[in-house]
Amino acid sequence: MIRQRLLACLAAATAIAAAQSAAAQDCTINIGAVLSITGPNAAIGSAIGDAGRLAVDHFNEAGGAAGCKLNFVLRDDQGQPNVGVDAAKTLVSIDRSPVILGAIASGVSLPILTSVSVPSKVTQISCCSSAPTFTELAEEGGTQGYFFRTLPTDRPQAVVMAKIAKEKGYGSVAIIYVNSDYGNAMAKNFTAAAEAQGIEVTDVVGYNQEQASYRAEVSAALKGKPDALFLVAFPADGATITREWLAFGGSKQLLLSNAMRAREYVEAVGAQHLTEAVGIDNAQTEGPSVEAFNAAWTAEKGSPPEGPGLHTMYDATAVALLALEKAGAPDGTAIRDAVREVTGGQGTTIYPGPEGFAKAKELIAAGEPITYEGATGPIKFDENGDVTGPYLIWGVADGELTTLDQWDMARVDAALAEVSGQ
Amino acid sequence: MLQAIADGLLNGSIIALGAIGLTLTMGILRFANFAHAELITWGAYVALAVVAVLPPLVGAIAPFSFGLPLLIGIVVAMAASSALALAADAAVFRPLRARRSESMTLVFASFGVALLVRMAVLLIFGGSAQYYSNELTFAVEVLPGLMLLPDQVFTFGLTAALWLALHLFLQRTTLGLSMRALAENPDLTRVNGVDVARVTRWTWIIGGSMAAIAGVLYGLSVQLRPEIGFHLILPLFTAAILGGLGNVTGALMGGMIVGLAESLSVLIIPPEYKPAVPFLILLAVLFIRPGGLFGALGVAR
Repeated sequence: MIRQRLLACLAAATAIAAAQSAAAQDCTINIGAVLSITGPNAAIGSAIGDAGRLAVDHFNEAGGAAGCKLNFVLRDDQGQPNVGVDAAKTLVSIDRSPVILGAIASGVSLPILTSVSVPSKVTQISCCSSAPTFTELAEEGGTQGYFFRTLPTDRPQAVVMAKIAKEKGYGSVAIIYVNSDYGNAMAKNFTAAAEAQGIEVTDVVGYNQEQASYRAEVSAALKGKPDALFLVAFPADGATITREWLAFGGSKQLLLSNAMRAREYVEAVGAQHLTEAVGIDNAQTEGPSVEAFNAAWTAEKGSPPEGPGLHTMYDATAVALLALEKAGAPDGTAIRDAVREVTGGQGTTIYPGPEGFAKAKELIAAGEPITYEGATGPIKFDENGDVTGPYLIWGVADGELTTLDQWDMARVDAALAEVSGQ
Repeated sequence: MLQAIADGLLNGSIIALGAIGLTLTMGILRFANFAHAELITWGAYVALAVVAVLPPLVGAIAPFSFGLPLLIGIVVAMAASSALALAADAAVFRPLRARRSESMTLVFASFGVALLVRMAVLLIFGGSAQYYSNELTFAVEVLPGLMLLPDQVFTFGLTAALWLALHLFLQRTTLGLSMRALAENPDLTRVNGVDVARVTRWTWIIGGSMAAIAGVLYGLSVQLRPEIGFHLILPLFTAAILGGLGNVTGALMGGMIVGLAESLSVLIIPPEYKPAVPFLILLAVLFIRPGGLFGALGVAR
C-alpha cells in the first residue's frame, strides 16, 4: 500500500522534475528554519543558523535542488513557543517553505510540529530537540511521520551522566533543571538511573528561564548539602545558576548537560571554577564524512566547528535538501517519504559538500539509490524519526573545553541495559 | 528561612529602585510608562560599555567584585538613562500631552518606545548574556544558615541610601514640594505658578537615574541581557501599585514585599511557579486595596 503510494509519488515527482529542469533555473525554493537568535539559546543559535546556511550554499553550488535555486530563510523564535509557531506559520504560508528546520528547544519544536508542520503537511527536521516527547508522539501516530531529528534523544544522556556520577563516587546529587519537556525528562531519567545505582538524589529543583535571580532555586538545591549538582540548563541561565551555586558554597563537582558545552558558558562562570565539572554532548563520530564537514566549515569560518548543534543542523538541512531533490518538487509529503530513501545505508554513499551533493544529484537523476553519510556520521532514522549516536564527555582544562572520554553506541547500550535491568 | 528572607530583601531592593522611578513618573505624569523598564536595560548596558572602555584603574575594591570603573559607569549610566528618558519625552510623550491625548494613547506610545530601546540595545550589544566582571566572589556565612555576598550588601545599602535621599528631597526642597503638588493636583499647581515643564524634566531625570542604578545592580547580581527590563515589568508594576502611585516609600515597601514573596514562596510551592507570585499579589491588591497598601499619591504627609 505504502509502496504503491510511494511509487506513484515518485512517478509524479520525476515528471515534475523533468518538466522543471527543462524550464531552467529561474525558480527559487525557500528553505525555512526556526532557531533562537535571541533568548536563552542566543549563544548557540546564530552559529547553528550558519550551519544550515552552509548546507544550502553547498547545494546551490551543486546546482540547487528540484530544479530550483535554494534560498535559506532564518526566523527567530526568541526561545518562546508562541513566537516560534508564528515564525513557522510565516515560513509555510508566506515563504512557501516545504520544510521547517528546527527548532532548538523541544518546548518550541513541539508546538510547531503539532500546530504547523503536521496540519500543513510539511516535513520538520530538528537539529537540536532531544525530548522523548517526540518519540512518544510518533508512537501514537501524532507526527504522521513528518518529524525527524538528527540529534539522539535524552534518555541515554541522563543514564550516562548517572553512570559517571557513580564512577566518580558521588553519594548524593541535587538536580536543577530547566522547566521544559527537555529538562523534565532529563531530571526524571537521571533520578531513576541514579537511584537504581544507589546514589541519593537530595533535591530536584525546576527553574523557569529568564528569571531575575535563581538564588531561591539554588538555595533549595543546596539544602541537602549534596556531593554534586546535576545541572540541566541552557548556557545563559546555566551560567547564572552555576555562579550563584558556587558563590553560595555549592560543590565544584558539577555534572552538566549538553547545551553548556559553549565557550560563553565557560567564560561567564570562569574556567578556574570548572576544573571538576564534567558534561555530556553528542559525539562527533569520526570518519571521512565528518572531516568533509569540518573542513568545509573551517574554510568558511576560519575556525573549526565547535559548539552544540552545528553538525546536526548541517545534517538536518542536507537530509531535507537531498529528500527535496529526490522528491523532485517542494512538496512536504513527498519530501517526508523521500527522507528515508536518501538515508539508511542502501546505495552509493554521499558526503557533505558541493561535490558530494553534485554526485547525489547525478545519481538521483539516473535513478540510482543513495545514502547520506553526514557531519554526524551515517544517518539512519528509525520508525519514529529518531537517530541513535555516540556521546562524548567534556571538561574544562587550561581555560578551554576538552574532550575527556568517548562513549560509543555499545557502551551506551550496555549502560542502558544495566540501569533498566535493576 | 533566614537565607530566603535575605535573598528576598536583596532582590526586592532592585525591584524597589525600579519601582520608585516608575511610581514617580506614573504619579506625576499620570500614565503607565512601559518604557520605564527599558531605561533599566539601557542604564545597565551603558555602564557595561563604560567598564569595557575604561582601564581597570585600581582593580576590584575588596571585598566587592567591582572597582572604580563600575562606579563611574553608574554615574554615566544615570546620565544616559536620564537623557534617554528626556529624549523619549521630547520626541513622543510631550507632543502627545500637548495634544491632550488620552492616557491610553500614551501607554501604547510607551510600548513603542520600549520596543525601540530594547531592539537598539540588542543591535548594539548583541543578545548573549554578559557580566561586569567574570571574577566570582564567594559568599560569606554571616550567621549560621545565612550566606551573603559583599555585592549584595552594597546593593542593599545603596538602595536604602537612595530612598532616604529621595525621601528628604521630596519633603524638604521646593522642587520636591512642586513634584508632590503636581501629583496631587496638576491644574491647581499650574495656577500657582509652578514651572510644570521644569518639574516634569526633573521627574524624568530622577526616574531615569533610579532605573539606571537598578539596572547596574541587577547586572551586578545576576547578568546583563537585552530582556532585563522586559522581565522586570511585572514585578515593577506590582511594586508600584502595591505602594500606591506616586508614593516613593510605598514603592520601596512594595519592591521588598514582591521580592520577599517570590523568595519565600519557594519554601511552600515548587520553584517553577515562582513567576506567578507577583501576578497573584497584583490581583489581590487590586481587589482589596486598589489605591495601594500605603495610600496613593502621598509621601508621608
